[in-house]
Amino acid sequence: MIKSLRWRLQLWHALLLTTVLIIFGGVVYALQWQTRLQQADAELDRVASVLTSRLRGLFPVPRSPNPGPWRPPSRGPGSSRPPEQTEDRGSPLIADALLPANVPLPVPPPWLIARPRDDDQNDARRRESRGQQRGGSREEGNRGGRNDQARDGQRSNAPEPSRDGANNGPRDPRDPSRWFSPAPGLGLPEEFTHLFEGDEHSFYFIIWDKNGTVLEKSKSVEDIPFPDLHTQADGLPVRQARMRDMQREVIHVSRFDINVLVGRSLIPDLAALHRTAFRLVLTGLGVLSIGLAGGWWFSSRAIRPIAEMSAIAESISVKNLSTRINVSSTATELEQLGTVLNRTFDRLQSAFERQGQFTADASHELRTPVAVILSHAELALSRPRAVGDYQNTIQACRRAALRMKTLIDSLLLLARFDSGEPEIELRPVELDRLVVDAVEMLQPLADERHVKLSCRAEPMTIDADHDRLFQVLTNLLSNAIRYNKPDGRVDVDVTSDEHSAIIRVVDTGVGIPADELQHVFNRFYRVDKARTTAEGGCGLGLSICQTIVDAHHGSINAFSELNVGTTIEVRLPLVQISPEPGVQSDASDNVDTATSLTAASGR
Amino acid sequence: MRVLIVEDEPDLQRVVWTCLQEEGYVVDAASDGEEGLYKAANWDYDVIVLDVMLPKLDGWQVLARLRKLKATPVLMLTARDTVHDRVKGLDAGADDYLVKPFQLAELLARLRALIRRAAGQSQPVIEIGDTHIDTVSRTVTRIGSLIPLTAMEYSLVELLALHRGKLVTRSMIYDKLYDEDDDTLSNLVDVHVSNIRRKLGHEFITTRRGQGYMIND
Repeated sequence: MIKSLRWRLQLWHALLLTTVLIIFGGVVYALQWQTRLQQADAELDRVASVLTSRLRGLFPVPRSPNPGPWRPPSRGPGSSRPPEQTEDRGSPLIADALLPANVPLPVPPPWLIARPRDDDQNDARRRESRGQQRGGSREEGNRGGRNDQARDGQRSNAPEPSRDGANNGPRDPRDPSRWFSPAPGLGLPEEFTHLFEGDEHSFYFIIWDKNGTVLEKSKSVEDIPFPDLHTQADGLPVRQARMRDMQREVIHVSRFDINVLVGRSLIPDLAALHRTAFRLVLTGLGVLSIGLAGGWWFSSRAIRPIAEMSAIAESISVKNLSTRINVSSTATELEQLGTVLNRTFDRLQSAFERQGQFTADASHELRTPVAVILSHAELALSRPRAVGDYQNTIQACRRAALRMKTLIDSLLLLARFDSGEPEIELRPVELDRLVVDAVEMLQPLADERHVKLSCRAEPMTIDADHDRLFQVLTNLLSNAIRYNKPDGRVDVDVTSDEHSAIIRVVDTGVGIPADELQHVFNRFYRVDKARTTAEGGCGLGLSICQTIVDAHHGSINAFSELNVGTTIEVRLPLVQISPEPGVQSDASDNVDTATSLTAASGR
Repeated sequence: MRVLIVEDEPDLQRVVWTCLQEEGYVVDAASDGEEGLYKAANWDYDVIVLDVMLPKLDGWQVLARLRKLKATPVLMLTARDTVHDRVKGLDAGADDYLVKPFQLAELLARLRALIRRAAGQSQPVIEIGDTHIDTVSRTVTRIGSLIPLTAMEYSLVELLALHRGKLVTRSMIYDKLYDEDDDTLSNLVDVHVSNIRRKLGHEFITTRRGQGYMIND
């Protein structure tokens, strides 16, 4: 089964389809992951920049660190930062980019310096106004929140010295730790702080000063080692993104080398990604099954004509040669194949028919002499006969046997030539001598028929098989004499041109109708269907001539005019270009054939 | 019985000719289609043996032309033995078909059958009263005893018996019993008739004076 073309097609189809689907699914999965990572980064960056901008708002920049004009951050070799720390520097924080360094930043308002609790006061003012509207519940809520924070602080073992320090330390406006304390630290809006409250997968942040002291952090954050990043020499901020286990973290470093780290777990994203992958696999399986079903259908459609062709080809036998593959057009390759096969069948059929016709003709030719022998013997044996009767019977039997021998010799000769081993032995032959010999041999027949035989031959020598060529000449001459008119003429003419010797045998017989002329070299073909029986021929003479001439790489042609005569022209190459090594023919056998043929025809 | 052989192979023609003559037939021969058709059209043969492959006119053409003139039984003789050839031969109006090589005995049997059928006789033995004429062994018996007859006498008895109840004219007898080369005197028929009467009884053959003879049914 697996050997069948259809299954192989299906297998390859399935392999190809699976490969395509796997590649496609893999690419989609990778893109999804990348997109999620970018989304997470963008969110983290947004949060980080909010934190950074809040920091900046609280902590004005001294002018000295940014003396030069603002220029876009570069990755040039001039960068003093090691490459691993500046990996994401290409995307500077928008907030910083919008604040070119040559724009003088406002000096921190005096109230920020004088009254560092401004935020608290503002907050308190805001709260007051809200409290007036809504009552004291808000106050309590806030207080509860603060208590939570305190509890949180207790729960995490890590002490928060910065906060304590900020509470108790000197009120130096330049000390970053100062303006985070006391809580609520950065004074982030509530909708923003929501981000950091929730399950373990929500956002977290942590802010260190340049010494690694934690200035501020979200509640859920665990201990994270201080990344210890620094701004570049030109004071441009640094951004770095990293993966820590399944946590995606973005670290922004801004003025005073304050490291702001914002992170969140990617586990929910991973879960979503897995769901997507699951859906991708399901879809892929669906596509695969549809593809395979379609492929099966297509392959069976494509293969059906092949099955039909094999069935028809199978049904063709000797008894049934006329069946053909039904080819409606020649558009597809299969139909072309069908046409080719049909043509092959045509040739096969005509070859079989020719073979059958040949066998029928040959057996027909053998039947008459056999009938003569059988009936003569039967009659002779039916009662006692006189000696003369027996002699007559034996004579008749001998004549019939000779006829059969001639026929069998001719058939064997043709069969040998047909088998592809032309048994010709090429030797230099004096063509003029050969023609004269043939004419002399047939002179008695010509005399008997009152036909004048004349010969004119240029002396020339060609490469040919002497005995076979002699057979050709005697065949042609005896035909010309037999089918001549009484007191007719037969002229043999041997000339040559540049390459060939030309032998023409011209008779003054009844001629051959033009439509029959093309058939005269066919085996057993007779212009007058029954004329030759009494003449002793069997209808093979001209085809033997043609076969022999073909073996010499020559040509034989017949020209005829009704009631004027027939000319047979034989052209033979003067020199055989590629002399066949040739099977050594049995010379005595050849002579025997030739003489028996002429002996039979002479009678 | 008069038979025409149309066969171009001289040896075959001769052997059939000899064989039929020895069997008591009167045999004419023709070597080509034209001659065969001419003879077949101008003489009343009891049967014609016609070869298919003939010079000038082939067997089919001879048969087709002859059938426009006469219904003489024709046995086709051919070397072709396919069903197609047999069907063609029988459809063309041949009464029988014999493939070469054949045995002379079979040829003779088929010719006898053709002659019988043409005369409306289906049995090989003709019974006239107590006289039995066996056309196979060419013998006449009366009440079990063999009557010795010459070949000519038997042929005459067979001819009259095949046409019994009908008048057989003198010219018919000459046609059937003498071949074209015979220049027999007419009174020889009378001699044969008187010999038969001597052997089989005077009343066996009735004479219609000036017209011919007949055997009464």
